[in-house]
Parts: sequence; structure tokens; C-alpha cells
Amino acid sequence: MSDATDKVRDEFFSEAQEIIETLSRNLLALDAAQKAGATDPSLINEAFRAVHTLKGLAGLFGAARMGALSHRLEDVLDDLRLGRMDLDPVALDALFRSIDVFGAVLTAERKEDDAPLPAVDELLERLDQLGAAARRGQAPSSEYDLDPGLLAVLTEYEEHRLHANIEAGFALYRLRVQFELVSIDRALEEMKERAKRHGEIITYLPTGEAASADSIELDLLLASKRDLAALIGALGGDNVVIEPIPRRARSGGAHRPSVAPAGAAGRAQELASIPAAVEPVPAPSDPTLRSVTQTVRVDIRKLDSLMNTVGELAMVRSALHRVFERVRREGQRPLAAELQRLHRTFERRLAELQDGILEVRMVPLGQVFDRLARVVRQIGRELGKEIRLVITGAETEIDKLIVEELSDPLMHMIRNAIDHGIEAAERRASVGKPAVGTIALNAYQKGNHVMIEVEDDGRGIDEEALVSRAVSRGIVQAAEVPQLARSEILALIFVPGFSTRNEASDVSGRGFGMDIVKTNIAKLGGVIDIQSEPGIGTKLTITLPITLAIVSALLVRVADHVYALPLATVSEAIAFDPAGVRVVDRREVMTLRGATLQLCRLDRLFGLGARPGEAGGAPRRFVVVVNVGARRLGLIVDHLFGQQDIVIKALGASLASVKGFAGATELGDQRVGLVLDAASLIEEVLASHDAHRPEASLHG
Amino acid sequence: MADLARTGSARALRRHAGHQTGAVRELLGFVLAGDAYAVDLTRIREILTPPPLTRVPRAAADVLGLCSVRGLLVTVLDLRRCVGVAESAPTRRTRLLLTEAEGGEVLGLLVDEVHQVVRLGHGEVEPASSLGADMGDHVMGVGRRDGAMIVILDLAVLLARRPSGAGVRDG
Repeated sequence: MSDATDKVRDEFFSEAQEIIETLSRNLLALDAAQKAGATDPSLINEAFRAVHTLKGLAGLFGAARMGALSHRLEDVLDDLRLGRMDLDPVALDALFRSIDVFGAVLTAERKEDDAPLPAVDELLERLDQLGAAARRGQAPSSEYDLDPGLLAVLTEYEEHRLHANIEAGFALYRLRVQFELVSIDRALEEMKERAKRHGEIITYLPTGEAASADSIELDLLLASKRDLAALIGALGGDNVVIEPIPRRARSGGAHRPSVAPAGAAGRAQELASIPAAVEPVPAPSDPTLRSVTQTVRVDIRKLDSLMNTVGELAMVRSALHRVFERVRREGQRPLAAELQRLHRTFERRLAELQDGILEVRMVPLGQVFDRLARVVRQIGRELGKEIRLVITGAETEIDKLIVEELSDPLMHMIRNAIDHGIEAAERRASVGKPAVGTIALNAYQKGNHVMIEVEDDGRGIDEEALVSRAVSRGIVQAAEVPQLARSEILALIFVPGFSTRNEASDVSGRGFGMDIVKTNIAKLGGVIDIQSEPGIGTKLTITLPITLAIVSALLVRVADHVYALPLATVSEAIAFDPAGVRVVDRREVMTLRGATLQLCRLDRLFGLGARPGEAGGAPRRFVVVVNVGARRLGLIVDHLFGQQDIVIKALGASLASVKGFAGATELGDQRVGLVLDAASLIEEVLASHDAHRPEASLHG
Repeated sequence: MADLARTGSARALRRHAGHQTGAVRELLGFVLAGDAYAVDLTRIREILTPPPLTRVPRAAADVLGLCSVRGLLVTVLDLRRCVGVAESAPTRRTRLLLTEAEGGEVLGLLVDEVHQVVRLGHGEVEPASSLGADMGDHVMGVGRRDGAMIVILDLAVLLARRPSGAGVRDG
């Protein structure tokens, strides 16, 4: 027993040593890059990952000093990585110092010497100062009075572009443009083309307000170095309103301290003139003690009930907005202006409240990942395979409820990867792979979604074996095989009944197939995709929504029913051209910018029947393109109403098995609208071969 | 009570034993396809004029749709379809009975018309088993009031055995 413990301890030390060496190499490279006048973000990323792994390792072995140190170091590297802090010589010195201190800590741990190490506390304090200095300078976007709702939906790239433009000294403008729904596709491209000459369009979003039912209003966020007059001259028009986005009332650059003691304006100026590096630092306090005393545990149901209240307030907001619209139409201008001001304030505060509650619900994925690290160790031992687990993005945050439900599916995916993916050591050696198999667990945020990848460097999936098993199980007909696309073949592993107990091994078997994994992920509003290269490895990607609470949705009409489509899954809406529809393999498809888009006629899928008058002059319809992960689908709808914030309420148990809906919501006029579940519709229409056989759905 | 307990619906009756204090039972009387029915009054939370309903595609056949009752999402069932009698278009008198199903889901039950609360002593209720074999087990018994027959439904049994909506579209 104690032999085994010693062995584990030895492994811990050698792994920690290795990571510290890697970190040291990274820092040296960073230093060299810095001296050459460039910062390589990938190096910072690597250093961050190294320290993060070190932190996980320290947690696993109860090495508290190392854990505290790597935790703080991780924060600093995260600040550097995300551009919240500049990599200057002061920061680099502190980072280099950490290598020495880690060495000292490791030596002490090895000797099981618990005597306090002053060097650790000293470095912690230094890192604290760095962090405090960085936090004083806020994200550059906070200089601008941007709608928090807008900031929340920016993709990482868009956010990056936003910051880059602000840093380059460009001003931000909001272009509010009315588009005719029929021609929005073309008109938007034209607008983008024209705007490009004067700056960069960072993002565009529907506003949910439109002058008429046939138009849609978009806000374009433009960064430009030209002034307002020049932009109005270049881009203005009847349907375009250009407004500069005001900077927040604050003087000075982003790196000047903005916190001043209340009522001490003179002192604030004095402080502002002192360079950040030599500013008085708050008295060091014990971080762990503080977090204990300042943390409260909250039952998540209380947060749910708060969130419901916010949802009801959101409905009040919508109602207020309708009143404003009516008053404006009736021409009572002063009253309308006042209402609009009130509405804006309400909207902003409500968004803050909502964000606050959502933030409380969020927990880092690291909570599950830590458990998985132990699973990997254990399974690797059971199967006699050496596995290295590389985790990135454990700090990515997601709704607490989702985290709870993720543990089992992820564990199963990892079991599968170790059992079926990673080859035995001899086999790996014979194909020239390192003896130690690698499983990467990556998490990152992408817009309103969190992506989790489980990737192994194993043998990949044997497609032929997959197909022959599917044929022998009667899941596909032998005649259909040649027509199967690669992605369809790989997707076979998600079909219920594909994996069976008698073929599964001890580890990944237990009658728990990938179909269950997929169902569990779908219950959370997510989808799972698979990629695999023979001999190289397999990657499973889970796409999940960040939260399950309030969402912005596009309201659409199909036949005479109104449905809500969460905007997070909508990529665009275009006019539907029946002449452009082709039937391929009994599925209706159209071409969208060179790519094939499968279509789904919601009225037929739902059996809603034709609208009166459809037989006559065909009315104009629309295709709403939804995408989840890499898969997309064009939903054919009759009308677009615009955008609205909705609170999704779960359907009752008696409707739990009805497919295609994520829940229902109140539309504000006492009516209930069903919320379409893009993930399950995509699943149903794209994945199922059999469900789409009815002849009726084939002809336009 | 003693003679009822020996009958086939003893199980159903026992389920309601908690509500049956004393010899008199309070029931809510209503009409389905022209006939008088009743359910245990304590099972009904509220009686409403039906709000606008939203149809749920691909739900089970007896689901009429969804509505919101002061912010609460309610699944509405056509009690006529549940029982298996003829349907007719809604009238001024059509009502929605709110009840809580097992598991806490609030369901709305559409009925043609609501009568008054009926109080029946045990002597006035005949167990379903004594009336012939063709009564479903969702019938608790039959009451008589002024010579008219009132079918007493067991909501727990009726709601528990309804299809959940699975596979309705494919089948």
C-alpha cells in the first residue's frame, strides 16, 4: 500500500518538475520575443496551460502551497492572455521568479517539510500587486457605452476585433439600418461592402423593431477612423441612421486608475499622476480566509425563482415598450421621449440584474474536469494504458445545472476514448506514436455556447467495421451503404442499439451506449458531433448553451402559429425562393452561398396544413437558417415578426416526449408560444433516415 | 364504506380515503357530451373560462394545447377524449378545470359545462363493479341525484393511464 502511495508521489514530483521545466522554457521564449518587440500569444497560452495543469496536479495531491501559487500565477497569465495586463519586464520578472519558488516548494514537499517558505508569500504578494494593477485598467470596451446585451453576444473573435479597433484609436458607430426582408441578403452584403471602405463592421444584430412587417431593422457596429459627418455622407440614406457610440464620461486612458475615494477629487488627481507600478498596494490579506468568510452557499432553486422574477420584469419591459410605441404613433412626442428614456434605463438595469443572477449560477467546468482527471488515472491503470490528460479551458463557465448533468456523459466519452481509442503501448510504438496516449479535454466559449472537446490520439474509428456492424444490426440496408457520407457513417455510433453489451468490454460497456450520451446532451439543449481520422485519433465535440434562463428569440409564424426560435441558434433569415429548391436523396435542399442547405418545411413536419390562399398566388415565405455546432438547417416559415426576450418555461411531464420544442413562453398578449428547439429539429431532420420517408414531404 | 371496500374500485377509493371524512362526499358535477359526470372536489384547484389555447404539434391525441394561467404553463386535455365520448364545438359554457397530476404538473381539463357541487352520501353511490363490466376502471362509481345518473370519475386513474404523447406521429 505504502509502496503504491510512494509511486504515485514520485509520479507527482516528476510530472510537476516536467511542467515547471516547460513553463521555464515558455518564459524564456516569451522573454526573447518580448526583447524582439513582439508578444507571441500562443506562448502565453502555453504557459497558462502549464500552470493550470500544475494547479490541478497540486489539488490532486493536496500540495497547498503549490496550489495557491499556481492559482495566482494562473490568474496573472490569464490576464496577460486576454490582454487585461501588459507583458512588461515587471510582470516577466515575477513570472521568472515563480520558477525558482516552485523549485523550492517542490524540494520542501519532497522532504515533507512543512516549514513556512517566505519566498512563497513574497511571490504571492507580488503577483497580487500585478493583478490589482491590471484590474484597475478595465477592458477597453468598457470605455464605450455599449449595450451589455450586445457585448454578451459577441463571439470571441468579434470581441477581439472590437478591442483591437478601440486600441487602434478608431471610434465606434452604430448604424441602424432598415432592410426589406425580401432583399436583406443582398442589401446587407452591399452595406457591408460599402462600409468596409470606411472601417470595419464588428457585428450586426437585429433590433427587434421594424418600421413595417416587411422589413427588419439591424444594428451594425462599425469601427471607423472617419468622423460622423463623413460617414453619414458615405453611408447615410433614408433607411440608415448613424450614431456615434458615446464614450463613458471618464477622462484619461484605460490604464489610469479610475477608482477614487468618494468626495476626494483632489486626491484622485494626485493618485492619477503616480505611475501604476509604484502605487500603494492594499494591505496583503490572507486570500483563502477571505474567500471563506465572503462566500455564501445558495440553493439553486432560489436563483431560479429570482430568475423567474426577472423574466416577469422582462415582460413588463416589453409591455412598456409597446406603450412607448403606441404613444409615439399617436404623436405625443414629449411623453414618448420620456417613456423611451424610462424604458432604456429599465432595460439596462434589468440586463444588469439578469447578468448578475446568471453570473452567480455559473461555475467553472473545472469542477467536472477535476473529477475526470481521476477517472482517467483509474481507467488507465485498469487497462494497463498510460494516459496523459491535457485539460484546457477548465475556467470556462457554464450554468451550474448543466455542469451537474455533464459529468456522466463526459466520463463515458473518456472511458470510450481510453478503451477503444488509445492503442496498447506496443501497438503505438510500432506505428511510431509516443507510448503514452494523450486525451485532450478542451473547453471554450463561442458566442452564447460552450464547446467541450474530448480528443484522443488513438487509432481512430474503423469505418468499415462500423458499417458492417450497422448492417448486421439492421440499422442501415446494405444497398444504402455506398450513399452514406463519411459524417453519416461516423454518426452511426449515436444510433440507439448500435453498441451492445456482449461486445463491450468491462470498462466502456455496462449497457450504456453513445446514444445515451447523445440523449443526455440533447436534454441540456446541446448537440454532439464526431470527427475521426484512422490512425490519428477521434474528436467528440459537445456544443452547449451557456445558460438555460432568459434568451433572445426570433418570433416566426408558420401557418397560423407563432413560434419562438432562440437567436443563439439563428444565423440568418432570407427570402425563400421555391424555384431554387432541389430534391436530393428525397430531401429538399437549396444552395446558400455555394453550400448546400437542407430545408425543413415546419408546416409539414408539424402537420399544420396549408394556409388558405397558398394554392393561389404563392405568398412570400422565408428560410430561417439555424445552426448548432457545425450542422445547419433551413426552416421554412411564413412570416418573421422580429426579436423578443423570452423566458423559456419547461413543458409539463405530459408533453415531455413531444419532439422539436425546448419549452414554451408567454408572448406578452396572454398567449403562449412554443419555443422551437433548433438542436432537436436538426437532429430529427438531418440525422434520421427513416423519419423523412413520407412521400408527401418531397414535392414543393 | 365496508361494502365498497370489497368491490373492484376499492383501490381507487382508498387512494381518496384521505379526502373522505364522514359519510358525505363533495363532488364537482359537470357535463360531457350531454351526460352528467363528477369528480372529487378536492382535486380541482380552479374553474376557468378557457383562455386562448396554443396547439402543440405531435402531442398525444387528447392534448388540446397549452395556455398560461397567471404565468403558470398549463397543458390542456380534452376530458371528452380522455373518457371517450363525442366532442362538440366550444360554447359559452365550456370550462377548464385545473387539477394537479401526480408529479405536480398542473393540467387543464376541458368540459362542456360545469354544474354545481354535489354532496352524495354513501347510500347514493353505487360502485362501478355492480353496474356491469363495460365500465372502465377510471369510473369510481355512479351516483344518483333526483333520479338522474352521475358518473363519478377517478381522475388519478384517468390521468395516469393516458398516453404520454410518445410515438404518436409515427404510429
